[in-house]
Amino acid sequence: MRWLLDHQSAFSEAMKRTRDRMTQFIVVICLLGVLLAIPGWLGQIWLGMASLVPSDAVQSEALVFLERDLDLESRIDLERSLEDQAVIDAITFIPKSEALDALSASDGLSQMTVLRDDNPLPDALRVRFSFVGDEAGEAAVIDGLRSDQRVMSLRYYPSARVQYASLVEMLGLLGLGLSMLTILGVLMAVFLVSAADVVDDRRRIELYTLLGASNGFIKRPYLYRATLLGLLSGLVACVVIFGLNTVLSSVLASNLEALDPELGSIPMDGRILITVAVVAIVASWIGAERAVHRRLHALH
Amino acid sequence: MIEFESVSKVYDGQRPALSNVTFKLAPGEMAFLTGHSGAGKSTLLRLLLGLEKASQGAVRVAGTDLASLNGEKLARYRRRVGVVFQDPNLEEDLTVFDNVALPLRIAGFKEADIPKRVNAALSRVDLSDQAMTSPRVLSGGQQQRVGIARAIVHRPALVVADEPTGNLDPELSARVMRMFTQFQQLGVTILVATHERAVVESLPFRHLTIERGRLVSDDVGASR
Ligand SMILES: Nc1ncnc2c1ncn2[C@@H]1O[C@H](COP(=O)(O)OP(=O)(O)OP(=O)(O)O)[C@@H](O)[C@H]1O
Ligand SMILES: [Mg+2]
Repeated sequence: MRWLLDHQSAFSEAMKRTRDRMTQFIVVICLLGVLLAIPGWLGQIWLGMASLVPSDAVQSEALVFLERDLDLESRIDLERSLEDQAVIDAITFIPKSEALDALSASDGLSQMTVLRDDNPLPDALRVRFSFVGDEAGEAAVIDGLRSDQRVMSLRYYPSARVQYASLVEMLGLLGLGLSMLTILGVLMAVFLVSAADVVDDRRRIELYTLLGASNGFIKRPYLYRATLLGLLSGLVACVVIFGLNTVLSSVLASNLEALDPELGSIPMDGRILITVAVVAIVASWIGAERAVHRRLHALH
Repeated sequence: MIEFESVSKVYDGQRPALSNVTFKLAPGEMAFLTGHSGAGKSTLLRLLLGLEKASQGAVRVAGTDLASLNGEKLARYRRRVGVVFQDPNLEEDLTVFDNVALPLRIAGFKEADIPKRVNAALSRVDLSDQAMTSPRVLSGGQQQRVGIARAIVHRPALVVADEPTGNLDPELSARVMRMFTQFQQLGVTILVATHERAVVESLPFRHLTIERGRLVSDDVGASR
């Protein structure tokens, strides 16, 4: 009961202090919100764009033509051994009759039906590599297949990701580094703002200590305020991210919809919003907690 | 009530702010502490409030060695002491009433009991009519009286004041000193640090003098 009363009075104290400095509070929240939105939006682009990238840009593919007259057993054997490879995502068998149909459909050569009984095409396997596989792993599989007795020939279509692996890796690292820096910068900003709130109140903390307030009693209103600050700036950040995403979507959509009606908008990733809000609250809480703690220690 | 036993205080790498100070103050006794600027008055009071720890010797209040108090226990000890500063250190966001009520709220008094005690404290310092105003609009002397009301509102057995009249003109400071003597008549133990020797010598109370951290005279005064 006492506990509840303490928290209630700390909360109303925090609200009162907030009301007294309303303009300042709002400005700070908007500022932090915009700052927080930067890494959040980067993350949203990162995750959202993944849904726009065509799969052949990230997944390599190989067409493996099998020897003529390969018996069923050795074919299944080959498929099995491929399925065991970690870098391989999926294997599809394409019988030669189907290949012929596809070929005639794309060429409009209906007379090819005459070839049906004397099909010149080999059976084939379509191998789809996983989108996390690396260049070396894929090359090893391809080399293995090339020297395999059961394989007549093969065609390898490396993904853009694998083709430009070193460039992609460098850009990825650069992006990661920059994102880390922005996140760090934003965390620092939130941290410092909530700490500044406490430094402002040095005299007050000293007074309360002298009047015999316990550390918890002194800390509580600041922690409530910091949580409120984090929560509200997190919300502002979410609104900003959502807004930016909508704008970007509508720009992209007018270009992309022509390509693929499914690309009408970039889906908003809920995890980003939740992460941003949680990070804001935690950073601001820790900032205030540490600042009050240091103040109190300087006194004892 | 208060007992300093061979107390020394050395701040990091400086000459001692207090050296070998020994004195006792009986319950209900009032004493003034004078000395030049930098003599160590504030240091002595900070030790008494547990804001600093003695480098040597022991500070005891009501039999408890303050060095043994920590965290919550120290906070609880401070709730039983009243403190007045040179700068009254009022919270400008709060009304006079709420400023005076602060020690009661910190100590967890029931909200229903607070008005009676606050009003009693305010009438002791003649400020009953200012309860709902902001400290911002008060004069320096009035603010100092609010500070004094805040120091006595929870009926502490010990009141400690550091230059409570430092910012006031002679007439006001005489009035404030008279207030302290009234509290003493109620049985409160009071220790007031000041450099107004003249005012102190005209009053019939115990008078401790420190110079460069040493207790150089202890004039028991006419009260005993
Ligand atoms: N926190 C501190 N850290 C280091 N030295 C300090 C600290 N507080 C006081 N001192 C030193 O201790 C000595 C005594 O200071 P103190 O404040 O006790 O004097 P005082 O008698 O209250 O002076 P005044 O009349 O000016 O208030 C001074 O030399 C001062 O520089
Ligand atoms: Mg002093």
